Amino acid sequence: MAPSWLAVLDDTISACTAHSRPDLAHRLQRRRARLLDPRLRVLVVGLLNQGKSQLINALLNAPVCAVGDDLTTTAPTVVQHAESPAAALVTDSGARNGNPAIAGPAERVAVPIDEVTRQVSRRAEPNMAGRVVRAEIGIPRKLLADGLVLIDTPAISGETSTLGRMLAGADQADAVVFASAATAELSTVELELLTRLAATCPNIIVALTKIDLVPRWRQVAERNLARLASQRVAATLIPCSATLRLAAAKHGDTTINAESGFPELVNCLQHQVAAKSDEIAPRTVGVVCGAAIGELADGLKTALSAPLATRTPDAETQLELAQRAMDELRRHTGRCQTVLGDQVADLASDVEHDLRERTRRILREVDRVFDDADPRVVWESFEQWLRDSLTDAAEANLGWLVQRCQWVADRVIASFPNDVADAPADALLERMADPAEHVGDLDEPRLDPFSAGQKIFTGLRGSYGGVLMFGLITSLAGLPLINPISLGAGAAFGGKSIKDESEARLKRRQGTAKATAQRHVDDFFLACGKESKDLTRQVQRILRDHITERAEDLAERIAAGSRLARQTAQAAAVEREQHRQRVATQLRSLVDLHRRAMTMAGQRLGGTPSSLELSA
Amino acid sequence: MTRPPTPADIAWNILTAAAEQYPDSPRATNWLAACVARLGEPIRIAVAGGVAAGKSALVNSVAGELIAPIEVGAGTGVCAWYRDGAEPAAAVCPPGGPPRPVPVARRDRRLHIDLRHWEAHQVARVLVDWPARGLRDLVLIDTPAAVDADWLAGQCDAVVYATPEPTADDLDLLRSTMDLGWPAAQVTTIMALSRADELGAGRIDALTSAKQIARRRRADPAVHAVCHNVIAVAGLLAATGRTLREDEFAALGALARTPKAELDAVLLSADRFVSADEPRVPMSRPARMELLDRFGVFGIRLASTLIRRGANTHATLAAQLVQRSGINELRESIGRYFLARADVLRARSALRGLGMVLRAEPRPAAAALAAEAEQAMIGTHDFAELRLLSSLQCGRLTLPGGLAESAERLVGGHGVGVAERLGLETEAPEAELRAAVFDRLGQWRAQSESPLLSTRQRAAARTVVRSCEGLLTDLAPTPAYN
Repeated sequence: MAPSWLAVLDDTISACTAHSRPDLAHRLQRRRARLLDPRLRVLVVGLLNQGKSQLINALLNAPVCAVGDDLTTTAPTVVQHAESPAAALVTDSGARNGNPAIAGPAERVAVPIDEVTRQVSRRAEPNMAGRVVRAEIGIPRKLLADGLVLIDTPAISGETSTLGRMLAGADQADAVVFASAATAELSTVELELLTRLAATCPNIIVALTKIDLVPRWRQVAERNLARLASQRVAATLIPCSATLRLAAAKHGDTTINAESGFPELVNCLQHQVAAKSDEIAPRTVGVVCGAAIGELADGLKTALSAPLATRTPDAETQLELAQRAMDELRRHTGRCQTVLGDQVADLASDVEHDLRERTRRILREVDRVFDDADPRVVWESFEQWLRDSLTDAAEANLGWLVQRCQWVADRVIASFPNDVADAPADALLERMADPAEHVGDLDEPRLDPFSAGQKIFTGLRGSYGGVLMFGLITSLAGLPLINPISLGAGAAFGGKSIKDESEARLKRRQGTAKATAQRHVDDFFLACGKESKDLTRQVQRILRDHITERAEDLAERIAAGSRLARQTAQAAAVEREQHRQRVATQLRSLVDLHRRAMTMAGQRLGGTPSSLELSA
Repeated sequence: MTRPPTPADIAWNILTAAAEQYPDSPRATNWLAACVARLGEPIRIAVAGGVAAGKSALVNSVAGELIAPIEVGAGTGVCAWYRDGAEPAAAVCPPGGPPRPVPVARRDRRLHIDLRHWEAHQVARVLVDWPARGLRDLVLIDTPAAVDADWLAGQCDAVVYATPEPTADDLDLLRSTMDLGWPAAQVTTIMALSRADELGAGRIDALTSAKQIARRRRADPAVHAVCHNVIAVAGLLAATGRTLREDEFAALGALARTPKAELDAVLLSADRFVSADEPRVPMSRPARMELLDRFGVFGIRLASTLIRRGANTHATLAAQLVQRSGINELRESIGRYFLARADVLRARSALRGLGMVLRAEPRPAAAALAAEAEQAMIGTHDFAELRLLSSLQCGRLTLPGGLAESAERLVGGHGVGVAERLGLETEAPEAELRAAVFDRLGQWRAQSESPLLSTRQRAAARTVVRSCEGLLTDLAPTPAYN
């Protein structure tokens, strides 16, 4: 029967593949292969000079790992069981070719077992056989026979490369022995390392080494345990002394061996080998799968929360924008109407004034003409002139009116938010009546002529007085009433009367002509003024209607836009909701898987797992 | 003949002139007055390092007295200043307040100050006056573990940095200390590889091995760039050796008299040594515990071996322990790099104070003074030497062949004495010294005009020539008067 942890692991791997995280899946696959391997790989790590190599040597009671006061171990050493002692160096041929970046095929060179420590620990010596990737040592030991594999590693320094290598190594190890000398408590650096290790490999043994040197190592151990607990690192702390263990082996002294703390470490390791499938594997799977699922869930949660952040502002902005556009439009329309009213009022008064000005000028001319000329003589030509002048005035006035109307239309339209290409008043203005129409026919006034009969009569009437006056005077002188003098005087008086009468008649005619012309011009002014006023009103009406129409048009457009936006937002919300539910379902299945992993691990770890609660 | 102005003179002149620019600012005036006062005080050397790096043991061993550590409240480390004084006295300085005297007790030749009722945040520093020969020319500052580069550069003239192994963090801290100083990029640090006695599982030859490692670290360019020297020091051993008591010597003697095999078995571990049912050790359990505290397993092993090998008087054992601990090398380095150049280092710190005033309250006239200060300092030969030394150490300046080594020695990189600069025995006859000086002088004069060198390298060579000329004056009186 396949163990339950395998099922959880396989499920997690397929979940990783399903969520397109092949990297995670690949890592878990490799982990799976390692977990199915009955051997127990134990990584021995620690900072510089914490006694890692000596720990292995003391465990096996054989100098398999190089030990020194300075940085000694430069490449990992893998120690495993073999029937007879054997050693080999694995080198990277790529490095030999001068390019360490390209990892060439690994070469395995067998070396004598006495040589291997020297080979691994050689320092600045130039690489004769490429870079040593690792050393492999096999020795016959009962401890190793069950499948325990010990891996000695170079010291972890602050550099990221060694740290990365250590974590990569821990990823492929079943258990980690973290060596920390009892001469000092666990430092911050060490605690951080342990926390990171616990995330990849949950089976940690903290070996408190060198307890033979420190009288108060028990206090150090206690404080270390407290620190581990405060960092929530689940680890077993085993105090040990390699010196005592080696001394015990030398003298065959079991008491010293017991004091060295190594029997406990050996027991612990042996127990872990035996319980690999039952204890180690589930716990590892629990943590590793928990972390992987946490990573997946984080991705999902980001996907879940990301649109949430943008949705609300989107629709709201749309609505707000529409609202603002509406307000703007209303304000503009109002302003347009006011502008239009003002402009049209100005225009009407201006045009009227202009027309009046023009007609007055004509009337003045008429007065001037008829002050001298005899209407009877000039009437024909005068009538023509008046007609022409009035037509000109009407044309000029109406032309100006049209210009002004157009200008007003342009102003009004320009003050409108959206540009309106067509000028609505143009058509009307083109339809405008011919200005000459307003100039009606001029009625010829009654200009009674001074006929010959009238002249004779007037002459006779005037001469009568003269003849009589002078006849009487000369009769005094004895002359008859009718005499040459009186006749002469009568002739002179008659002539004078005719002249006076003729002038009076001219004056009368001129007055009549002026009055006629005046009346005519007034008629014209009325007709023309009416026409231009009508025109102005019509233009105003057209423009007003136009503005209203445009405003309605725009309002409709804005409303349609916001309606569309609302619809889109609603559709998006629906889609998001669906997506959210989809993600939530996925998340729920992940949470299920996570719970299985956790139950199987038989423990709850702080950090990522607890944060894996459904936010929905 | 008028004496050229010393760095202290220059600093004094400039600081006094600067104080005149700030008649209206009591803060600046006080600060500058403190800077001036610092010129007359002993050089301040901070002992810095990480948690449990062995700082207090270093302080004790340099001072030759059991004075560190001082803890406040429930065992929090505190910044403690140790000065030489006629009578033991101590004062607590609260942050921003005047010092308040606290009672001092001397028990078992150890300093006891009761600060249990003080909180850590109430104490900026503790000032301790203690009669000690080791403190005669310097003020030692024991710093808490979390000390920043700014503080080190501002408060101290030089630093002894304790670390079991120089890590990247340590080097970063020292590098920023250097950059904050004035003039920038000046090395004022000696690194002590502390806890040397814990190497190699407490083997008897651990110290030899530690010295090799120290040599190796010294050759590491990254380490050499931030410190003058790297010295392996077994702080515990040194402090114990310098304060070895008769009763301790007697106890060790008794131990040494037990058969070697038996003693080795007992000393296999600390637990065994103090365990109650150990009939082979002629001592009570508390006595053994105390001995272990004072010496450590390694110290007891070494001391008993030394006694067995013939160091059978109190004085010889103490001398041997001190000599093996490496503390002599450290003291010698402190003398060579710090005390011999105390004048320059103090002036440098004092002028850095001017820089801080300028940053806080800029005034044009004072800024001109700072520029003047910089110029004057650059013109001073002591500074030129220090700067050249730093450049050579950091690798900012390279010289071909063996020239770098020779230049470093001549400008006082290995000590400022005439013989040390020439690389000769201290007792060498004067004629030999003189000949050597002329030899070097000729050699470096040639280099200073060599077309093969760059402008900067020739400038460096000119500095070396001046150092050689200085040596000639030091060698006076001339033979004619002899």
